[in-house]
Amino acid sequence: MAAHESKLRTLEEAAELIPDGATIGIGGLSMNGAPMAFVRTLARRRVKDLTVVAVVAGIPIEWLVAAGCVRRVVSGLVSLEGFGLAPRFRAAVQAGQVEIEEYSEHTLICRLQAAAHRLPFVPTRAGLGTDMLGLHPTTLRLEHDPVSEEPYVACTPLPLDFGIVHATEASTRGNVRVDPKLIWMDGEVARAAATTIVTVERIVPEATFVAAPARTTYPRFTVDVVVEAPWGAYPTSAFPRYGYDGDFFRSYVQAHTDPEQAQQFWSDRVDGPDGHGSFLDANGGARTLLSIARRTS
Amino acid sequence: MSDYSIDELMVVTLAREFTNDTRAFNGAVSFVPVCAYLLARRTHAPELVWAASSIAIDANPAAIPESTLSDGLWNGASMLSGSSYDFWSFAQGRRYNTFAFRGAQMDAYGNVNNTVIGPYESPKVRLPGGGGMADLGCMLPLIYLWSTTHDPRTFVEKLDFRSGMGWGDGGDDRARLGLPGGPQLCVTNLCVFEFDPDSKRMRIRSLHPGVAVEQVVEATGFELPAPTGPVPVTPEPTAEEVRILREEVDPTGARLREFR
Repeated sequence: MAAHESKLRTLEEAAELIPDGATIGIGGLSMNGAPMAFVRTLARRRVKDLTVVAVVAGIPIEWLVAAGCVRRVVSGLVSLEGFGLAPRFRAAVQAGQVEIEEYSEHTLICRLQAAAHRLPFVPTRAGLGTDMLGLHPTTLRLEHDPVSEEPYVACTPLPLDFGIVHATEASTRGNVRVDPKLIWMDGEVARAAATTIVTVERIVPEATFVAAPARTTYPRFTVDVVVEAPWGAYPTSAFPRYGYDGDFFRSYVQAHTDPEQAQQFWSDRVDGPDGHGSFLDANGGARTLLSIARRTS
Repeated sequence: MSDYSIDELMVVTLAREFTNDTRAFNGAVSFVPVCAYLLARRTHAPELVWAASSIAIDANPAAIPESTLSDGLWNGASMLSGSSYDFWSFAQGRRYNTFAFRGAQMDAYGNVNNTVIGPYESPKVRLPGGGGMADLGCMLPLIYLWSTTHDPRTFVEKLDFRSGMGWGDGGDDRARLGLPGGPQLCVTNLCVFEFDPDSKRMRIRSLHPGVAVEQVVEATGFELPAPTGPVPVTPEPTAEEVRILREEVDPTGARLREFR
């Protein structure tokens, strides 16, 4: 039997795949489970004019906007939650440097599902009566069921050039497991994408999947690239292995009360470090990682 | 009971609205309703369903973290439900029945704005976005609103953007759109608003202790109907409710993040 082709790439190789002007979807939700090691690598490439789709996001959009990579954000919510608003994102939108296409969570999910299923639309009651419909007359159409006459919103497909999600483990063939289960909307992001990139905490043998096939999340033929990135969601969480780094978010928001401090923080702790290990070191290294690690059994 | 603060009065007032039939979940920055669900479950509504972060059903956290959408809130859950399939079908299918939201602006019909201040294309302030409120305001029959900043900038006659659906344009607007129920009440730091059954506009249900009608009228940017008789005072929390809230539900005072 011929050897299988390996889908394993480095963070840098994977980030090289994204051209200027691409439409990319990013997984995770708010402070949880975003593919941050990939996002940082992409931001450092200074790719241009991206359309970034993220259902509920914060720090991934913040960093890509700060690096000047983004032309348009397509999202339901961009904030750093209890820590505060996303300062760079907010400033860029208010200065007219970045366009924001606001959808709601569910209309975005329906648009990604329509793309994944190759359907003309997926219906929902979400958004009826709100101003969001008026923002998107062609992609969110107010229609009525021909039989019951019930109104609904027809969410048209939102195909992604690339979908990037973070997971627990993968084989080099591209089977992927989110352990113990997929919780966020990552499934829609992965399925709506022409090319799906998955960063994982660790690479495991193919036999791991064969031994427990009920626990495979994404099958290999739907995954194009896998990247080994331990602590790859940092500073967001990777449930149940580590939590988000509250100290990081507190100091990030604090630094952004002053432009000079913000620039210093950005170059010292986000953009400057060369490589994932240096980035983790710049944010406290082992001490920080031990403080956010969780007991999983 | 006089030893309580405004955050405690608001949480207790909201908690008393919930029952054993309440099946709720929460979104981002929702410290007040999260405290209220947990308090109601510990006092009069032990069967109440609450999915922490819309994910962790029956969670029983030891404390509330900085993010109400984070796994720090999930301890003790009996199920971690997946977002896309489980959650959205339970919400749109009305297995859940209750949702609470707030906005930077609210109008008399309980519609909210969390998108922009100023024009959408060139905003004076870019807010976080509507997130799930545009969805859940349409899907759930029992909607509760709260605000820790009762002032004319928050309670406005006209929203700059309608991110979340309350009673819409009032009257039977929701029913005409095929939407169930609607906002039940709005708890603020000054009073409790309810909705006129016909017009669906807010009116004062009760004033918090020490607050006068004129104060509420002045702090509200839309017109309020003049009360027809004496206005009730919001019932005070009991010592036991305050103790449970302080010691068991929210020992670190996470709810105070909404009162800064």
